[in-house]
Formats: sequence, C-alpha cells, structure tokens
Amino acid sequence: MSQDKLIQVKGLEKRFKRLEVLRGIDIDIHKGDVVAVIGPSGSGKSTFLRCLNLLEEPTGGQIIFEGTDITSKETNIDVMRQKIGMVFQQFNLFANMTVLDNVMAGPLRVKGMKKDEAEKLALGLLERVGLGDRGSAYPIQLSGGQQQRVAIARALAMQPDVMLFDEPTSALDPEMVREVLDVIRQLADEGMTMVVVTHEMGFAREAASRVLFMDEGVIMEENGPQEFFDHPQNPRLQDFLSKVL
Amino acid sequence: MISGDRIVKIWAKYGHFYLQGLGNTLWVTLLAVSLGVVLGLLVASGRMMKLRSRDNPVLKGIKAVVRFLCTAYVEVLRATPLIVQVFVIYYSATGIGLSLSDATATRMMWGIIAVGLNSGAYLSEVIRSGIGAVPGGQLEAARCIGMSQWKAMRFVILPQAIRNILPALCNEFVTIIKETSVLAMVGIAELMFKAQSISTQTYIFVEPYIIAAAMYFTVVFPLSKLIAAVERRMNKSVTR
Repeated sequence: MSQDKLIQVKGLEKRFKRLEVLRGIDIDIHKGDVVAVIGPSGSGKSTFLRCLNLLEEPTGGQIIFEGTDITSKETNIDVMRQKIGMVFQQFNLFANMTVLDNVMAGPLRVKGMKKDEAEKLALGLLERVGLGDRGSAYPIQLSGGQQQRVAIARALAMQPDVMLFDEPTSALDPEMVREVLDVIRQLADEGMTMVVVTHEMGFAREAASRVLFMDEGVIMEENGPQEFFDHPQNPRLQDFLSKVL
Repeated sequence: MISGDRIVKIWAKYGHFYLQGLGNTLWVTLLAVSLGVVLGLLVASGRMMKLRSRDNPVLKGIKAVVRFLCTAYVEVLRATPLIVQVFVIYYSATGIGLSLSDATATRMMWGIIAVGLNSGAYLSEVIRSGIGAVPGGQLEAARCIGMSQWKAMRFVILPQAIRNILPALCNEFVTIIKETSVLAMVGIAELMFKAQSISTQTYIFVEPYIIAAAMYFTVVFPLSKLIAAVERRMNKSVTR
C-alpha cells in the first residue's frame, strides 16, 4: 500500500432506512490533498464527509485511514478520531466552556496533556486564527466567524492528520465568510490534508488541489480545479455550474 | 366552626409534637428525593441507551431488555397513584419479613423507599429531557475530538444538562414535601400523622389539620418562591 494514501474509500454506501444516500463512492485521498466537494443539496456530500470519521456509520464498503479499516468493528473509533479533525456548519463550540477551554478540551481530556502545556498550545492556536485575546470569552459572546475560527483551532489542537470541513461558511453572515476562508486557505498553504464540503466556488477554485462533484450519491466528476471549472465534462456538472457561477 | 382559640390551645400543648412531625417530613423528603435522583439517573441512562448496528447480538438483546424494563418502570409508576404504590410496597415488604429490629425505623425505611421509587420515575423523565435539550451538535463535536461517550457526557453534556434539570429537581423536592403526607396512612410519624393523632386524642377534627396545613405552607411557599427567583437569575446569565 502506498505510503502517501491517507484515506482510501472503497465502495462506500450509506442508506437511511429505504433512502439510498451514498451509492458506491471510491476515492483515495493523499497526504497534502485539498479536496473540495461540491454538489446540489441532497447529493450526499455531507453524508460522505460524516462517514469519513464515522459520525455516520456506512452501510457498505470500507474506509481505510492510515492503513486501518475504520469501519471494522475491532477498530476503536475514539482513537482514530483523534487524528481526524472536524469543523461543522453550526460551529458546535462547547457552550459550557470558555473559548480557551474549548480549544484545550481535546489535549486535556483526551490526550491527557498537562494543563499548562495544553494552555500554551491552545493560546498559540487562538493566536494563529486571530483570536488570541478572546480566550476568556464564552462562545455565545462571539460572532459566527469568530466561533468558526475557534472551532478550527479546537480541531487543530488534536494535531490531526486530516481536517474535514462540513460547509464551514454556510451559516455565516456574508461579511464573515472571508475571515474563515482565509484561515482555511492558510492551513492549505501549510500542507494540511483537507476535505472541504463547500458552496464557495471561488474558494474551491483557488485553494483546492482536487474538486469532486457529487450528485445522487456518487462522484460524478473529479478533476483539478482549473479543468473542473473551465472544462466540465459531465452534463449534470455543466448544468450545476451554470446555475451557481 | 374553626376557632382561633382552639388552634392556639392545641399549638401550646402539642407544638413540639408538630415540629417533630415536620422534622420527620423533611428528613423523609430529603432521603426519598436523594434515592429518586440516583434511580432517576440510572433509569434515564437505561432509557437513553442506543442500539447500534456495530453491537453484537447479545449486547443488543441486553440493551433492549434494559430499555424495556426502564420504560415500564417509569410508565407504571407515573400512571398509578402514589398512595397505592406506598401500600403495595410497604405491606409486601413487611409481609415477607423485610424488617429492621426497630419497628419505627422499618416503617420509615419502607416509606422512604416507596416515595423514592415514585420520585425516581418522575426524575428520570426530568433528567432525560434535560439531557435531550442539549443540542445534538455538542455531542458530535465532543466525539469528533476523540472523547468517548462517557467523557462527552461528563465534560460537555451533563454540565449543560444540569442547568436544565436543577430547577425541576428543586420543584420535585417541594412537591414531595407535600406528597409524603400519604405516608401517614401506613403509620409513619410525619407531619400529617401527628395531626391525625392529635385529632383522635382531642376529638377536635378541624383545627389540628389547619395547623398542619399552615406548617406545610410556611415551608413550601417560601421555598418555591426562592426556587423561582434563582431560576430567573440563572436564565438571565445564560442569555447574558
């Protein structure tokens, strides 16, 4: 098995009762890839992303992360998730904790890091997302864009090998989209492997190394951003792009 | 007719008797609600267990049985009168000889257990809905940084659920202060029982109960007002 294949998805299927959401997804994600996933709503892109860290349990197929099949019953998913960061559309910051405690939660409670060490790490990360001075605030006191940047810092605090973003800017007021995308772009520049479900076509074009188009539970087209947007092959993608661009 | 004069006379003679009864009422309430909280936590966790496709069949079976038993417990205890439950538990326990050496203590114990079982059913629903009111994204986010189900509960969900649960829990305590009066029927020496014995001794039928009512009121009314005030302040601090 090739070393740089970080995630291998093989024949991934997911059904909710009678509704087939994913109907056979195959893709390899390599170290350093920035994969943008686009597609109409209901196409299964969020479900695909949530299967990658088993927030949704696949009903068929395999997901192999760093050589371990995470869909196997023997795999301790809590351990695997430490290496897979996730950022949600709705931020989901822990409402009972300050911003600093949110970012410290993983290192402190999961990794068992010493408190002063975790605090140093967390402060550094908050600095990096431009919120070094808001550590003592509660999530509710921050704007959406600030909350999302804290959520990114919280995921980074576990020092993951891959970051999953589930429509990270969809719940934001327009003027806050930029500050969040800037942070994500900076991560991409630093070589972080990422899978980003997004509606921001500009972002997908500039920051992604690969773009996937999903519809009806399958990957309909995959290409480098240039080719993907300039010469779409699949008629469905052509139709989709003509509506959103 | 109700005579103020008689009330004063009864209180002068039996006041200490009443206070003893009130003391017992509060003790029984405190212990019963404590038992109720423990039971409520257990039963709520039992009812919230999720059957997952990754579980093996044996574990799934056990979970299903536990869930059924917990649900049955809650539904039966909430759909039958407390006084019936007290009679059934008290007489079946003492009937098969489950007694302490001291008869008064035995009565007290079974009374507490009966009320505690009842309160556990209600509190499990309070706890369950308090946990259910915490947005689902909180649990997902906690699991995503690698927390186990237990750690996510301990550090993220329960601290938020307690805010939802605490006011209802205090109200349950206040309710139980009044409800323990049914224990007079099985001879537990709480406030209502004392009023009853004074009534039968003096052949005065109204005033002894007026005094008991006044005592319940002096405890329950300020307590419930206090809880409402604290609840208002807590809500303020959440919305900021």
